[in-house]
Amino acid sequence: MKAVVRFTVGALRRRARPLGRLAGWSAAEALPALLAGQLTARALDEGFLAGRPGVGLAWLGGLAVAVVIGAIGTGRAYARLGDVVEPFRDELAGRVVTGALHRSTAAGARPDTAAVARLTHQVEIVRDTFAGLVMVIRGFLFTAGAALLGLFSLTPVVAGVVAVPLAAGLFLFAAALPAMVDRQRSYVRADERLGETASAALTGHRDVAACGAQEIVADRVGRQVDRQAAAEQALARMAALRSLSLAVGGWLPLAVLLLAAPWLVRRGLTAGAVLGALVYVATGLQPALHALVQGVAGGGLRFAVTLDRILSSTAIAPPVRASPTHPVPAAPEPVRARLRGVTFRYGPHARPVLDDFDLTLTDGAYLAVVGPSGAGKSTLAALLSGLLQPQAGTVRLNGVPVDGDPAVLARHRVLIPQEAYVFTGTLLDNLRYLRPDADERRVTTAVDRLGLGALACRLGGLGATLEPGALSAGERQLVATVRAYLSPAPLAILDEATCHLDPTAEATVELAFADRPGGLVVVAHRISSALRARQVLILGDGRPMLGRHEDLLTRSATYRELVGHWLGEPETARPPRPLPLGG
Amino acid sequence: MPADGDRLLRQAITYGGGWTIVLGTAALLGAAAELLLPAALGLAVDAALGDASSWWPLAACGIVVVIVATDTLATLAGGTGTARTTARLRHRLLRHLLALDPRHAARRPVGDLIGRLVGQAADAGQAGATVVLGLTAVLPSAGSVVALLLLDWRLAVTFGAGLVLLAVLLRAFLTDASAAAGDYLRAQGRIAGRLAEALHGARTIAAAGTVRAEIDRVLAPLPELRTHGTRTWTTLARASARTAAVAPMLQLAIVAVGGWSVTEGRLTPGQLFAAVQYAALGAGLGTVVATLNRLVRTRAGAQRVAAALTEPVRTYGTATLPAGTGRLELCGVTVRADDGRPVLDGIDLRVPAGTTIAIVGPSGSGKSSLAAVAGRLRDPDAGAVLLDGVPLCRLSRTALRDAAGYGFERPVLIGDTIAEVIALGRDPETVATVAGPDRVPREIVTAARAAAIDEFVERLPDGYRTRLDAAPMSGGETQRLGLARALHARRLLILDDATSSVDTATEHRIAGAIAAHADRRTRMIVTHRVATAAAADLVAWLDDGRLRGVGRHRDLWRDPDYRAVFQPPAVPGPAPAGQPVEAVR
Repeated sequence: MKAVVRFTVGALRRRARPLGRLAGWSAAEALPALLAGQLTARALDEGFLAGRPGVGLAWLGGLAVAVVIGAIGTGRAYARLGDVVEPFRDELAGRVVTGALHRSTAAGARPDTAAVARLTHQVEIVRDTFAGLVMVIRGFLFTAGAALLGLFSLTPVVAGVVAVPLAAGLFLFAAALPAMVDRQRSYVRADERLGETASAALTGHRDVAACGAQEIVADRVGRQVDRQAAAEQALARMAALRSLSLAVGGWLPLAVLLLAAPWLVRRGLTAGAVLGALVYVATGLQPALHALVQGVAGGGLRFAVTLDRILSSTAIAPPVRASPTHPVPAAPEPVRARLRGVTFRYGPHARPVLDDFDLTLTDGAYLAVVGPSGAGKSTLAALLSGLLQPQAGTVRLNGVPVDGDPAVLARHRVLIPQEAYVFTGTLLDNLRYLRPDADERRVTTAVDRLGLGALACRLGGLGATLEPGALSAGERQLVATVRAYLSPAPLAILDEATCHLDPTAEATVELAFADRPGGLVVVAHRISSALRARQVLILGDGRPMLGRHEDLLTRSATYRELVGHWLGEPETARPPRPLPLGG
Repeated sequence: MPADGDRLLRQAITYGGGWTIVLGTAALLGAAAELLLPAALGLAVDAALGDASSWWPLAACGIVVVIVATDTLATLAGGTGTARTTARLRHRLLRHLLALDPRHAARRPVGDLIGRLVGQAADAGQAGATVVLGLTAVLPSAGSVVALLLLDWRLAVTFGAGLVLLAVLLRAFLTDASAAAGDYLRAQGRIAGRLAEALHGARTIAAAGTVRAEIDRVLAPLPELRTHGTRTWTTLARASARTAAVAPMLQLAIVAVGGWSVTEGRLTPGQLFAAVQYAALGAGLGTVVATLNRLVRTRAGAQRVAAALTEPVRTYGTATLPAGTGRLELCGVTVRADDGRPVLDGIDLRVPAGTTIAIVGPSGSGKSSLAAVAGRLRDPDAGAVLLDGVPLCRLSRTALRDAAGYGFERPVLIGDTIAEVIALGRDPETVATVAGPDRVPREIVTAARAAAIDEFVERLPDGYRTRLDAAPMSGGETQRLGLARALHARRLLILDDATSSVDTATEHRIAGAIAAHADRRTRMIVTHRVATAAAADLVAWLDDGRLRGVGRHRDLWRDPDYRAVFQPPAVPGPAPAGQPVEAVR
């Protein structure tokens, strides 16, 4: 919660000027609150009670003018609110986007897809509640201040006596605030947790029935129901506490004034002044405090809890590592990639995916990686491209260790993952993503070579705007492979990058990359990729094994099994499409 | 349907129990006190001026105490009662939803069911508070108008006119605001869309080292968002300025009209103050509309919860199974689709105990429906299914759960950890052990090994204790975990395309492990793969809801129609995948 206060105060400080203007208009808005009691008192004493209703109406007319000025102030204050709130939202949105992208691209991370909801939903809650909070707090400060000032001008003693319970009520409320925030947070969490568990259970309704586990699952979700109810009850107790602080701060001043009134009248206070004082307390102070307490306890708590969640889930990623100054070899090294004694596991207790693993790829290498699902093929691709760091051993690309700046790494290798990235923008921008200086002729050549021509034509040329949603998964993959083909990096790593392409298109892509200067690693989705490659690496049970297709058929039982199950079945038994190797 | 909803609404009010009564009493008392307070305040003012009994200030203070006490109590009682009612409604609905016939449950989107359980149950849970507050909220406002009328009819007329003006001005705001909000949401949607794209391509962005550029690209529409956002505040500003002018003017008008009456001697200064307070209280009539809105929402919520509660649940018998190893008989089984079309039409099938039977047939021939009735995932519309001589519908839930297990093509994994996922179909003791801190039971590990998922699990950060949301899984891995969950079945294991996403080598391993099971339980395997059919003891060949043939694969194979079941459909275009290999060599 400290983070919330720090962030909010910091943001408000940066908005000092708009806040100043907001305060100016708020002062105008408080004008009726300042004058209401005084002018009512005058209207009565000098007008209505003195038998001169015209004079009374004149004083009230003055108050009406004040009301109009106040209304203008209200309007202007709201209009200025945007200058405070909108930049605040901008900062938050920037933070959510920056945090999500940094976290999603960190080593071994999965895309933080919840960030989209955070952006559209939580940031908006914060924007709205922040605006409400600003308005409520400044409204209270100016209105209550004006009412107190007015009261002071009528009867200084009463102003002093009234200010004490008001301050006490505010203090009580402020003291209970941290506990309220706590309760609100557990309530929101309990609600979300209930939604998640119930959703998981009902999505699997068929599975629950098939397992005969209705009771077990009902109990499990039922526990969340009870937790949610407990959180809601705690919230109700807090709300009761809140109405007590309202009693002290809002009602006690009124009681004090009522009890003191006879004494004040004996001391010479006029009937109009008594009424004026009551107007200050009953229509100035009390509603202002009420609005403050309701606003802070409602929107204010939501603001604090939601902002806290945003801040904790977007904790700014550690500063980008200073790119180590590795000597980049002057002459291109024939060794494109070298793994030495690499060991990698996903957790301290997990079995290693790779154990003391060596691999060298020279210029012109064309390696297919095969193995059953879960064997670590994609992990190897990530290690090779520096997206994951091994627990032991070294990975070097062109002689450069892979622990540096990803932008530097991108000059040495290009990784094409299974989930192709295509963004809303022109086809040309999408294709030149990794090489912005590529000229159009070069791009066109690549498009033709990899078989993207038909799609480019259908879309309306390279300048046409792409809608990622309108492309099929295969078309997106094709765009991503052309982009990678244009990249200046000599080593290309295709991590099931063509799994949505048909076998012919897949062959076209792989063969084009094989002809490209440098090296090629294909994490195979279909066994046909292995048959094309110059060398095959098998991952799976036991030690990884590297060799040519023919060698491996004789040396590796796993490989024989993989290939055999695909090729060995009778002609009639061949499945309609090549079997996927992985899951 | 509305009758069901209203009955549930009445039940929901009683669910709050004592809290609803406390709330009702407090609210009623509070409303009365609120209505009395302005009059008492007026008299207290007159008392201070020497025109009324000097006890009135004390009496007014007493009323204030009552207001504070009842308000506190009503807040507490309202919140607690709502929480309890909601929880009871949710428990009831949750048990009902889970007990629904899977067929009925499948007809509703999950989001709809969640909406009822989480959203509408909470709306209906407000029943007690809404009804009580709806009845009492009108009292102070309506009473104020009467009080104004009693004080001086001129005041009541002034007040009425002001209120109408206020309502008109507030209405105008609603239409103003929506246009600006629409543009704002569109700009926001653009940013969200770009973010979603970039997150989808996170791996590409990570590899290319273009995070900075991507952040700028996603945030590019931000200035536009700010423009529209600022516009929403300006719209709001106009409306607030109008409201800020009208509400105090109403009060001023009351003072002016009342002041006149003071001059004329119709009102005392105290009564004038009372009139001002009544006007403020009466302006609360606007909130009555809000209360009505709440009542409508609560009622709608109750109706939607009630509608879900009227769906029929599936019932179980009490029978247990005699000794046996899974003799399965289907007698005249007919299953109809929702539109009445038969999906299975009078199927008679006897599967000897311990047999592996493959179910084959073109898609849409009723294979999955046959699998569903065989283990009572659904009941046939006609005919009976018997396991070791006992009709499935007479079996107790426990007996059925222990006897039969299902592996699905797309299983949904339920549980916090991998171990809990695998344990789901087992007896409650095992489920409890798995959720506890003790070692993962041996049978869970054995099942994982048989489903060839043990290596995957052991590579996860916390092995079998890894949380499900921390274990990214492919379709094949999910299938194998779903299979491990089903392997406890003692007599009948039904695999509905349950290894379709698993590579052939692994599938071979799984088939071996299942065949090696000590009990030789009966296995029913829905498959498209010819190798699986060839390995089965018996093949049931379905065609358009009827049994076209039952026998051994090699006997059926002579029939060209049977062979056609496994033939690939003619796919135009792509050449066979093997050819490019030769081109390389």
